[in-house]
Amino acid sequence: MKLEIGQIFIRDIQFDAVSRIENNILYVNTQELKALLLEDEHLASVDFEIAKPGEKTRIIPVKDVIEPRVKVEGGGGIFPGVLAKVEAVGSGRTNVLKGAAVVTTGRIVGFQEGIIDMSGPGADYTPFSKLNNLVLICETVDGLKQHAHEKVVRFAGLKTAAYLGRLAKELVADEVKTYETPSVKEGMLKYPDLPRVAYVLMLQSQGLLHDTYVYGVDMKQSLTTMLYPTELMDGAIISGNCVSACDKNTTYHHLNNPVVEDLFAKHGTELNFVGVIITNENVYLADKERSSDWTAKLVELLGVDGVVISQEGFGNPDTDLIMNCKKIEAKGVKTVIITDEYAGRDGASQSLADADASADAVVTGGNANMVIELPPMERIIGHKEAADVIAGGFDGSLKEDGSIVAELQVITGATNELGFNKLSAR
Amino acid sequence: MLIITNNQKVMDEADPRFERYFVEGKYEEVLLAVRDRIHKGHRLLTHPLSGSVKPGQTPYKSILISKEATELHLESLQIIEDSIRVYSTQTKNQAGYREEIQTAAAEDFREVDARLFAGALESAMRAAKPMSEYKEEAKL
Amino acid sequence: MAKIRVVHYINQFFAQIGGEEKADHKPEAREGFVGPGMAFNAAFGDKAEIVATVICGDSYFNENLETATKEVLSMISSYKPDLVIAGPAFNAGRYGMACGTVAAAVKEQLGIPAVTGMYIENPGADGFKTKVHIIATKNSAAGMKDAVAAMVPFALKLVSGEKIGSSAEEGYIPNGIRVNFFEEKRGSERAVDMLLKKLKGEPYVTEFPMPDFDRVPPNKAIKDITKAKIALVTSGGIVPKGNPDHIESSSASKYGKYDINGITDLTEATYETAHGGYDPVYANLDADRVLPVDVLREYETQGKIGSLHRYFYTTVGNGTSVANSKAYALAIGKELVADGVDAVILTST
Repeated sequence: MKLEIGQIFIRDIQFDAVSRIENNILYVNTQELKALLLEDEHLASVDFEIAKPGEKTRIIPVKDVIEPRVKVEGGGGIFPGVLAKVEAVGSGRTNVLKGAAVVTTGRIVGFQEGIIDMSGPGADYTPFSKLNNLVLICETVDGLKQHAHEKVVRFAGLKTAAYLGRLAKELVADEVKTYETPSVKEGMLKYPDLPRVAYVLMLQSQGLLHDTYVYGVDMKQSLTTMLYPTELMDGAIISGNCVSACDKNTTYHHLNNPVVEDLFAKHGTELNFVGVIITNENVYLADKERSSDWTAKLVELLGVDGVVISQEGFGNPDTDLIMNCKKIEAKGVKTVIITDEYAGRDGASQSLADADASADAVVTGGNANMVIELPPMERIIGHKEAADVIAGGFDGSLKEDGSIVAELQVITGATNELGFNKLSAR
Repeated sequence: MLIITNNQKVMDEADPRFERYFVEGKYEEVLLAVRDRIHKGHRLLTHPLSGSVKPGQTPYKSILISKEATELHLESLQIIEDSIRVYSTQTKNQAGYREEIQTAAAEDFREVDARLFAGALESAMRAAKPMSEYKEEAKL
Repeated sequence: MAKIRVVHYINQFFAQIGGEEKADHKPEAREGFVGPGMAFNAAFGDKAEIVATVICGDSYFNENLETATKEVLSMISSYKPDLVIAGPAFNAGRYGMACGTVAAAVKEQLGIPAVTGMYIENPGADGFKTKVHIIATKNSAAGMKDAVAAMVPFALKLVSGEKIGSSAEEGYIPNGIRVNFFEEKRGSERAVDMLLKKLKGEPYVTEFPMPDFDRVPPNKAIKDITKAKIALVTSGGIVPKGNPDHIESSSASKYGKYDINGITDLTEATYETAHGGYDPVYANLDADRVLPVDVLREYETQGKIGSLHRYFYTTVGNGTSVANSKAYALAIGKELVADGVDAVILTST
């Protein structure tokens, strides 16, 4: 399967009477977009703000971040099974608004998390401070239950991203990247001497506010299965995950999965990237046993030499991670796992909820308990009252001037377990 | 199977075929109540750290264990002990939410715990395990 | 600004007094730098100066740990240093223990910043890495130049009170404290690189070493417990009244072996606990609570077990190092096997 990604670099976003992309600037007609979104009767109001890199702006509380994309050639549409019909994606041509993102905010529950600072020390920890963000502030109609509320905001974000993506359908890309995955047989013939590597992608699937959808299927109800890497780039996986801001994988992360990108970078030269195995992180322990058995079986069936395993979330998924690692290593296949740590504020506690000696190659996204001070910002986008909750636990954590003393875990994407960032710990 | 919970919503709404035990107390006391039963030979059926809401943030916790006690199940013991350790790390230095925040968002915390747990119960009901493994399976 | 005052601690060998034959050299202090101190002093430039060097023989230090530490510490403090450098000890075990002890004591008792350097496999590294910063060095004095180059800037950073970065950035032996920092490559790329190395069998360094479990697979079950000879071994510190072998209440340096031939009950008058890590009241009232001699005697009489071994073994598991515990277990295990013991009940607190 072969996919071309046409990148259209977006250097600015502005509101305008006509939605379009011109000279690498994204213009948005908010009236038109609003009308489209308000077709959802559960959405009472939606407001738009623009947040640019370097601004003294704080977005709070962040639900999801999504990169606008559009299918130019090839089967299916972006977000198949959710916005587009269920049809296999991942081939042909897709245009991407590189440097832009849709950020959704909404207080779905009273403890909604996630901060993006566009400047200052907090900005160093989130990749989204480097993007031009169109922020959606969503208010739903009264009386909506939490799960319905989450869905409304999730869809508002996806629809907005698709709307903006469509503006790039006819554009000539600034840069084109090609990704190709041969069949297992072709790959073996083509690269007989290269180590064969698969990617095990663990998806959050514990339930309400902890869900991930694959072609529209709730991942907690799926068995471990396989995808072509390029299917991710067309939005086969979307996030319904609202909790643990620092190590949840947003839809943006899934579209730009860094392990996929970095395995492709060495594909054909140093390794043979065979494919992506997706598995879940359920609450029921027997589900974990089944899913990790299945993961190890697929790895064995593919006959690969090594795998990278990535994680999502805190606590419970540590058990899935270790089960996957242990069972795959037991098949004689080499593993590297990517996780993050909860080593306490002093960094002195045991970092993971589970551990095993077979997990002897670990990449960490850093200690999420590290305390950070976020200075006051001139503009707060979203729901100000969430700041007090996010700052959370201890007196003086939200100061009168608006500065926040909190743990790194409040920052969206800070300790990402796909290895999206440079942050680490020793 | 036996539910150990401090969440009234789970007591009220969980499938009536599950037995339940209400813990008057905090998240930590639910963990300890489960650990005590594991010591007596009950098996852990759901992960004690379900949900990414950290200990110290949510006050609510629901855990499913086997109703029948056989011999000590070491994996269950390992998981519950690890969970208690993580709980204490994450609640040290008041790392969680202040009580008034927990109170204000109590309904949301109860709902998230209950929904995550309901998902696990669905798995439990779907699961077809050999009768020898959990004899009480037939009547849940 | 006045130069930072540094005192350097080295052993008899690096002071060029002599080798093993001079290892009993008692502590002495000399003004200025000695031996490797020259390189340190040069590297400090105009920022710091070695005002004195304290020298001690490795045997003397390790065999007279308490008094030697006291002597060395008082010599060091008499020069009113702002910083203390010990070693580097490379892979010399006793020198490593001395450097670790001195540096840790300076930090804890004098409240003065201290740093030492060692090869990662030096026993001193394992013993002191959580107490004081130990810069990782090569395994022989051939690595002196690199050691100085790493220790000097780190030491100056310590004195200035600057924030100390992660072990990966600063070069100290990981001390169990996790510190965040930004790598040059993102995590996914590091993961792919690590996997390629692992696949090729090349060395790689995990970013998070799993805790050392040292799990022991359980033995086969005893076939017939009514014929088995059973021994009692405890880390709960139960000893005959008066603690005849002076087993320490914490960080025990020994274990005890005691005859319980004919004893059916441990009473308040005859046994007690030496353990300093738990409330001893109930153990002292009735030591059977920790070491169940009474019950096992009953079982023996009733024929529920074959017999109770004539000796019990005891130590205090309170801060006792894993290395020591392993050594005791090995020695105890050997004797138990030689004595034909079939099973052991291990009790802790």
